[in-house]
Amino acid sequence: MSEILIRALWVLGGVLFFLSVYIIANKALREMTERRVAWTRGELEPKILEYVNGKGERLGAALPPLGRADRRVVEDVLLDNGRFLKGNARDRITAACEDLGYVRDRMRQLKSSRWWRRAEAAEKLGTMKSPKAAAELIALMRDEMPEVRMRAARALGQLETRSSVKPLIGTLQDPNRWSALRIADILAGMGPEAADELVESFATLPAKARVAAVDCLGRVKSHRAAGLLIKLLSDPDRDIRARAAHSLGLIGDPNFTPDLQRALKDPAWPVRAMAAKALGKLGRPEAVAPLFDLLRDREWWVRINAAEGLRSMGDSGLAALVNAIDSEDRYARHAAVATLEGAGVLDQYVEKLVSADEKEREAALTLIRKIVAAERTDHLMQAASRHAQEKVREQLSRLLTPPEVKVQVKA
Amino acid sequence: MIFLSIFLSVDWHELLLKSVVGFNRYVLYYFLTLNTVYLVLFIVSLFEVVRFVRRTFFSDYQQILKSEMTWPISIIVPAHNEERGIVETVRSLLQLNYGEFEVLVVNDGSKDNTLERLIRAFDLRKTDRIYRRTLPTARVRGIYASLEVPNLVVVDKEQGGKSDALNAGINLSRYPLFCSVDADSVIEENALLRVVKPFMEHPEEMVAVGGIVRIVNGCEVRDGRVVRISLPRKALPVFQVVEYLRAFLSGRIGWSVLRSLLIISGAFGLYKKSDVVAVGGYDSYTDTEDLELVVKLHEHLKKQKTKYRIVFVPDPVCWTEVPERFKTLLLQRNRWHRGLLQSFSRHWRMLLNPRYGVIGTVALPYFLLFEVLGPFVEVLGYLSVILAYFLGILNMEFFLLFLLAAVFYGVFLSIAAVLLEEISFRRYPAWEDLARLIWYAVWENVGFRQLLALFKVKAFFDFILRRRRWGEMGHRGFQPAPSTASR
Repeated sequence: MSEILIRALWVLGGVLFFLSVYIIANKALREMTERRVAWTRGELEPKILEYVNGKGERLGAALPPLGRADRRVVEDVLLDNGRFLKGNARDRITAACEDLGYVRDRMRQLKSSRWWRRAEAAEKLGTMKSPKAAAELIALMRDEMPEVRMRAARALGQLETRSSVKPLIGTLQDPNRWSALRIADILAGMGPEAADELVESFATLPAKARVAAVDCLGRVKSHRAAGLLIKLLSDPDRDIRARAAHSLGLIGDPNFTPDLQRALKDPAWPVRAMAAKALGKLGRPEAVAPLFDLLRDREWWVRINAAEGLRSMGDSGLAALVNAIDSEDRYARHAAVATLEGAGVLDQYVEKLVSADEKEREAALTLIRKIVAAERTDHLMQAASRHAQEKVREQLSRLLTPPEVKVQVKA
Repeated sequence: MIFLSIFLSVDWHELLLKSVVGFNRYVLYYFLTLNTVYLVLFIVSLFEVVRFVRRTFFSDYQQILKSEMTWPISIIVPAHNEERGIVETVRSLLQLNYGEFEVLVVNDGSKDNTLERLIRAFDLRKTDRIYRRTLPTARVRGIYASLEVPNLVVVDKEQGGKSDALNAGINLSRYPLFCSVDADSVIEENALLRVVKPFMEHPEEMVAVGGIVRIVNGCEVRDGRVVRISLPRKALPVFQVVEYLRAFLSGRIGWSVLRSLLIISGAFGLYKKSDVVAVGGYDSYTDTEDLELVVKLHEHLKKQKTKYRIVFVPDPVCWTEVPERFKTLLLQRNRWHRGLLQSFSRHWRMLLNPRYGVIGTVALPYFLLFEVLGPFVEVLGYLSVILAYFLGILNMEFFLLFLLAAVFYGVFLSIAAVLLEEISFRRYPAWEDLARLIWYAVWENVGFRQLLALFKVKAFFDFILRRRRWGEMGHRGFQPAPSTASR
């Protein structure tokens, strides 16, 4: 037994020694490489930037012969600048990447057996923006790794070629939900062209991809998608109905008001909530009454969205909220008070308690009495003790005097 | 008479010898099994860390930040007598790099000026926001909000303990995900973006995600941000740095891969609210509400036969203070171990029950054998060696070799954790810190580990005797200490 233990000790001791040396050597090597890269970058970057800013025809001619490590530094400098530059300077970066063989190298790397190398290549090809890579990137959208598919999609989005729209739409059904959303983002970034294609191929999309597609149509704000989106307000899938309502709100055409008003009666609460939010964005006065009714909805999100919708509609909406304070429905009262409080309207009325205008004073008194009756007085109590003007404090204290007030947190 | 004759006929010396030898053999097998499990966990973690680091090269955090589809989050901060650092903590949380979120501070019956400081710092006003008691809690005295900081809400309630405060936060939260954060912790700027990603990828299945907890002692904190990272000067917190690295990087990652994660630190975890409400929220019957919640979630979801995920992500960082004195450490570890035992005693039906999958058949037996019984085996092992010495049956050469092997193996696991840190996140950039980490990884196994085993044995007896004491951590707050600031 002792023999075995001695051997085990030797092995463990060796492993420990190796581990410690490896940790130290790894750190030393990394720091040396970082210093060397920083030095090389300092040497080459000014020449690269001169080229990017228009000096000379070819970057290769301006640079000294490059070793493998130096080539990587040059590529990094080009890509770092390529991420935020536009116009002619951006085109010169693409030309340099093609000229120096980076596009070719990365296209070769797309066939690597290691997923992270394929993903890295796709990411860099996207930043290089070379149309030569489009076909390979489209093929990569069928890669088994979601990370790779994602990078390929983003690269295609960056290339902004018409040929990439269809393959991107095809991958909206990606099982990874985040990938699908990202692809929808990319499509939305491609503008009306992507929207038209989405409308055309919507019927052929699988169920999972449809929600992302509807969302994308809203963000593109394409009027040409309006017909489809209105139709989708009656889709059997409640998620699609909800996203369609949201997208119509994003497009923001007041003519959608009747359709969205109908959606306020949807049996699924997410649809009602989204329709309320969208109607708030459209801001048509005829939506005030149905939104007011929705303050009594049994779902908290719907009530809050209805109140927020009214708030964003301006004076008519705020007036409706004030009216809701003496509603018979306690949820409607609470939603109204909370929204008015959050919008700072309550504080404005408190100020008016000492206004020179009698009408304003009367309006403020009426509102505050309603709130007292609604038993949502915490905010007013605070104002009664902390307001800067003594007159306001006195007025409020009088109004809040029991027996009318019961300051309670509702269970 | 019969008993006496039996008693006299037994060779007690021989029996004692056999018992000691038998127990020592058991300790040997126990040691081998435990370390094999640790080794397996380490190997699993190593592969996962490498995979994770490769994935983070292609992170989408900016897109998560900008996307409209990113889940909004309610951050819940229970605070009891936290006047010293609460304003700083809230400021740092409000600056987090994330789209839509709200910060809910729950003042749990503080006897100091926690509430007053918050009111002054953020110009809070009492509001009429509705408190829906979805989960039962102690009475809420008031809800405060600020017009200047619309996403800050402070709840003032009667004292009910941390679980109760968290439940009050859940009741008041608006968003479908909530993040529990300790009032004495600092969350890194991008931590929410990182911790929410698993929810973005698997929205239906994801139930809870835990982030890594790192030790802030020794670091410089300014305006609620960790601006300089270094190891503490004192030995006790450095031992804990090594211990945390091992626990998080090679422990939790491994369990997460095996889909058997039982702990998400209360200091920083993100949960789907609907699932937490479905299990009744946090439980105040145990001393470690975080562990209890995760075990309850597993039990509930397995019973429902729902496909779900509870995972650990190693790069969203929460910085927290650890005890610098032995007495405080004893209180903290006592509570942790008591909490483990309480949860175990409540969910023992899950043990070896195939209905609960890997949790019931692997994770819980591991916790019973190595976490609950481990400290006893270790302490009894030391006692039996002393006994064997006095009985003259101790093979000194074997004992020393065994001891050395045990220490070497412990050192190997600690250094391996340092390696995982060095190949992945490299939070300690200074050479001096790396050298100290390696040095303390060696010495942690001589003395510190044994001390923790003793703490756990004491906790076991406290559990049996139903003694419950939370213990004050004695936080110094995050204002940089003069010595640190001047360095």
